[in-house]
Amino acid sequence: MKLVAVCACTSGIAHTYMAKEKLRKAAESLGHEIHIETQGTIGVEDELTPVQIAEADAVILAVDIHVEKGRFKGKRVMEVPTSLVLKASKQIIQKVEESLKA
Amino acid sequence: MKKVLNDIKKHVLTSISYLLPLVVAAGLLIAIGNLCGGSVMESLDDLTVPSALTTIGVWGMGLIPSFIGGYIAYSIADRPGIAPGFLMGQLASFLNAGFLGGLIGGLIVGYIALAIEKYLKVPKWAQALMPMMIVPTVSTIIAGLIMFFVLGGPLVAFTTALNNFITNLDQSQKVAYGFIIGWIGCIDYGGAISKVPNLICDGLMADGIYGPEGIKVLAAMVPPFGVTFGLLLSKLIHKPIFKKSEEENIKIAFPMGVCMISEGVIPIAMNDLVRTVISTSIGCGVCGAIVFSMGVESMVPSGGVFVIPAMTNPLWAVIGLLVGSCVTAVLLVLIKKRLSPEEIDDLGAIEDDTEEEVDLSGFSLS
Repeated sequence: MKLVAVCACTSGIAHTYMAKEKLRKAAESLGHEIHIETQGTIGVEDELTPVQIAEADAVILAVDIHVEKGRFKGKRVMEVPTSLVLKASKQIIQKVEESLKA
Repeated sequence: MKKVLNDIKKHVLTSISYLLPLVVAAGLLIAIGNLCGGSVMESLDDLTVPSALTTIGVWGMGLIPSFIGGYIAYSIADRPGIAPGFLMGQLASFLNAGFLGGLIGGLIVGYIALAIEKYLKVPKWAQALMPMMIVPTVSTIIAGLIMFFVLGGPLVAFTTALNNFITNLDQSQKVAYGFIIGWIGCIDYGGAISKVPNLICDGLMADGIYGPEGIKVLAAMVPPFGVTFGLLLSKLIHKPIFKKSEEENIKIAFPMGVCMISEGVIPIAMNDLVRTVISTSIGCGVCGAIVFSMGVESMVPSGGVFVIPAMTNPLWAVIGLLVGSCVTAVLLVLIKKRLSPEEIDDLGAIEDDTEEEVDLSGFSLS
């Protein structure tokens, strides 16, 4: 399955990037393709392209703060706090996969 | 109910994330300006470089309530919320209810703006006016009147009472409160629990009370410093307590700690949660008790060791940090189990990527 994700934490220096790494590793080990955008205090990095979003089967928002959701209109979105991603990134991706099949 | 609370938390955290760069920059400007002999300018006649810096910094601090109000409302109601939220912040400044006033005003005006966006149906030709005129104006009128006529009095009373309470603490009370703030402030290394006292410290700073902020900044560095000292101490007395992989983690956690990021300790703590948390949280408490009772103050909410020179009583700040870290180190070495040589060398093993079972039933794909 193809995934896109956005990571953003409060201070935008630590959890954002830890969550990104976790998601990337988990998706790779489960054999999924994932593109991850980070919205840290430095600003947006690795911004998701419209094509990536259009092709994605689902969107994971690993965010503790408000992020713009307009561009994900019509997409299946799961929003989780970054702390949960650090603990259980694989289970989150598995849950997305199950929900898509259901 | 829980969902509402979670939402509110997210809105507040959003505003904090926009606020942090402002307070760091403004705090440093004040500190640098003051250190060089600057003061707040009355007119251009007083212009010197240090005074220019101090003055800009003080203005920056004055923007805090507006940032809080504005970005909370933005988080709730998107762009149309920003303007009314900033106005609620100005109102809060007028009430001298700075941080708390901005927070409450932002929440009220944000939800009102959201309700207008959702429920007010206007003819097609007026739709363009919604985000530009109707939402900001109407939400500001309603929330502004509520803030002035209903909440103004209680907010002023509460803020004054809280500020009096903190400034009138005697020495032994300061030790106790310093310990508690430091202890809770790093009990989960920058996680959900520690956000609460940290938020209170930020709020007090916005109202001109800088002691608790000093605790927050210094105590946040105790866990990473403490495990580093613990590692050195364990080598010194030949009681191995950390695995090879944990040593590698500590090498990353220390520089992170220098920048006031305690999260680097999490992977080490996860392997031996109870003992590590006991050691680090007590160290943080000791650090908090020392710096609060010795009058250390910080006008800068973030930046780690680099902002210590800008604090009031920087010497006691350093002492508090070091003593707290040493307490953590000694406790770690005392209560962590001695590891056998086989246990220490875990780098050869395959990386363990099993996860603890977590209840995800509350989350679903939209």
